[in-house]
Amino acid sequence: MTAVATPVERARLGGWIGGAISTDHKRIGLNLGLCALGFFLAGGVMALWMRVQLAQPNMHWVSDQGYSELFTMHGSTMIYLFVTPMAMAMAVYLVPLQIGAPGLAGPRLALGGFWTWLSGGLIMQTGWFTSGGAGRDGWFAYTPLSDGRNTPGIGMDLWVIGVILAATGLILVAASVLATIARKRAPGMSMLRVPVFTWTELVSVLMVVGAFPVLVLAMVLLLIDRHTAGIFTGYSGAIDYQDLFWFFGHPVVYVMFFPFLGASAESIATNSHKKWFGYVPFVGSIMLFAALSMAVWSHHMFTTGGVTNQYFAFTSTALVIPAGIEYFDMIGTLIGGAIVLRTSMLFGLGFFLQFLVGGLSGIFIASPVLDYHAEDTYMIVAHFHYTLFAGSVFGFFAGAYHWFPKVTGALLREWLGKFHFVLLVIGTNMTFAPMFFLGNYGMPRRISRYPDHPGWGTLNLVESIGAGIIALAVLTFLINIVVSLRRRELAGDDPWVGQTLEWATTSPPPPQNFIGPLPPIESYAPLLDLLHKEQGRADEPEEAPVP
Amino acid sequence: MPAASWFSALALVDTRQQYYRLFDIYVPIAIGVFALIVVLALFAVLRFRRRPVEKAAVWHKNDRLEGAYALLLTLTVAFLLYLTFSAEHQVDTVANRQRAAVTIDVTAAKWEWTFFYPAYGITIRSGTSGVTPFVVPTGEPVRFNLRSVDVIHALWIYYTRYKHDAIPGSTQVFTLAFPHAGLFDGQCAEFCGLRHPDMLLAAKAVSPSAFAAWAHSHTGRSSG
Repeated sequence: MTAVATPVERARLGGWIGGAISTDHKRIGLNLGLCALGFFLAGGVMALWMRVQLAQPNMHWVSDQGYSELFTMHGSTMIYLFVTPMAMAMAVYLVPLQIGAPGLAGPRLALGGFWTWLSGGLIMQTGWFTSGGAGRDGWFAYTPLSDGRNTPGIGMDLWVIGVILAATGLILVAASVLATIARKRAPGMSMLRVPVFTWTELVSVLMVVGAFPVLVLAMVLLLIDRHTAGIFTGYSGAIDYQDLFWFFGHPVVYVMFFPFLGASAESIATNSHKKWFGYVPFVGSIMLFAALSMAVWSHHMFTTGGVTNQYFAFTSTALVIPAGIEYFDMIGTLIGGAIVLRTSMLFGLGFFLQFLVGGLSGIFIASPVLDYHAEDTYMIVAHFHYTLFAGSVFGFFAGAYHWFPKVTGALLREWLGKFHFVLLVIGTNMTFAPMFFLGNYGMPRRISRYPDHPGWGTLNLVESIGAGIIALAVLTFLINIVVSLRRRELAGDDPWVGQTLEWATTSPPPPQNFIGPLPPIESYAPLLDLLHKEQGRADEPEEAPVP
Repeated sequence: MPAASWFSALALVDTRQQYYRLFDIYVPIAIGVFALIVVLALFAVLRFRRRPVEKAAVWHKNDRLEGAYALLLTLTVAFLLYLTFSAEHQVDTVANRQRAAVTIDVTAAKWEWTFFYPAYGITIRSGTSGVTPFVVPTGEPVRFNLRSVDVIHALWIYYTRYKHDAIPGSTQVFTLAFPHAGLFDGQCAEFCGLRHPDMLLAAKAVSPSAFAAWAHSHTGRSSG
């Protein structure tokens, strides 16, 4: 052993300490992902608590203030502490493997980012234990409601500080991933041979690096505003805060979307035994998607009278073009494939088809005239839960079932996985579909009680039962993990006929990721190219046989 | 006179009508697209299931077909934006050019609405203290000058399919129409703190003559 421990040797340090300070990207990715999963469970409990309160009209299960803490912390936990960091965790673990790199560029940056993010998350949650309660102004904490006069108390300060640290940590992690993709691709892997999932992570980390600093800035200003000078004062101050917040807040929506789109795409391509269809248009479309998503933020502000609605309606409606291309590519991948309906495939298809409800309702509310009615109602709640839960969380599970064997060396139980999938589809649609109708009938979001209008009690009860079914589905997933790790069914290096480089190494991969030379990289699916060569089909045309 | 009737057809902008004009086009298209993609995906999965791996196609692109499809998507975007912009022009611009039959100054505060009729000196309050409807004439433009004294609120009357934020430091102006007589519920739509769920309101639309009688008999009064 040398005097200074190399990353590889540090990864071999046993125990909790070794795991916590390891600069092995796989360890950092797992730590980040497992902590995010823990926050997912916490945020889920908050959601269940709210669904109990809303199960019937005029309930008094929680107080009005308790309810506002619940919806604030539920949203903040899910967005800042689960979906976004999970997207980054998947990047940290998988991107170096997919591009044939031995590790991250700047692994200490990612390690420091993980710890900064985690401390932010924990600080935010400590608000629960203060006498005034946790943050309670919603996940976007509009001023002047969130200023020191309208929401005094240490719990709200802890929320602001938590967001600052969590966002800063994620910027550090994203910067490391960005540098990795830029600098550490294996010889032969040009940008147009980068796998689909890594491309989706690339545009995501670009948006994190581009947009999250604005959130950090807005939150620092909010903290100052709360304690000393009035910064966001008057009408323009209120509009400025919203502009700054949503300049982060809309790109983050796509950071919470692209990686799960990529995971679903990898799982669909692999389980169809075909390359992802239309790779170059796909890459172009997600770049257009990312560019547009940096230019749509004020569609959250159509009812403020403070923004140019037509411009933001234009950019938001234009999202139809890249989104439509992704669906075209999904169908194109399925047609002509040899499809196996494994659990990861089901979740991948579930991602695309259910996200579609969120996407199409997104076109609806991109129209200001329609949004004047839908804004701040359960129509919006339904819309973004179809994108984030029925979409991203399904995409996360697609990735989880797809890559679990790579990460652990063990296969997840297929029958438990399919049970998990069926429960989650039923629970998700029972919970979120009725919200479209409730919103249209006049139910605003963020109310702890609602009057006994005809049908409202029934629809809300259906939603609450659905939330319980979602909880059972998530429990099934956790049981599946425990069972599969306790009684291991060995996965081997490549249980699925994988297409990308992570399937060309052992499961789990060794500290330096690859032993021996990498396979030749001639496209975004190098292992499938090898298979086609073995089959003697490498010369078949790339163009689909349609005019 | 045709010119006059054309003008009067323009005169009353109804936000609810504009909403459904778009709704009735957007929603069928969305349902159609959803059904089409679900059917295509299910067809492809069922048709290409359980085939030997060697049967999986090697082809994986068709840029010309995809380009044509992208053009179709672009035309769809242009069509939707044309509809949206023309409806929004009515709601946000033409409506505010109408000569209002009545003007109401609305002040939002935690957690109460105050509706003040400057022409008659009538004040109506609604919110945590209980819901007292404010009165409007049917079939005529009603102008709202919306303010807030503390945090952001949003005035939402479901019937009109329209809401607008009340942001401290500004007066937001918009014009609504109530073609039918009736009692229409509303409520604050922007989370404004502890008693946000109780910040309720209601609009009572009555015929113009009944409105005139009400305004006359309530002049200078305060209620709610």
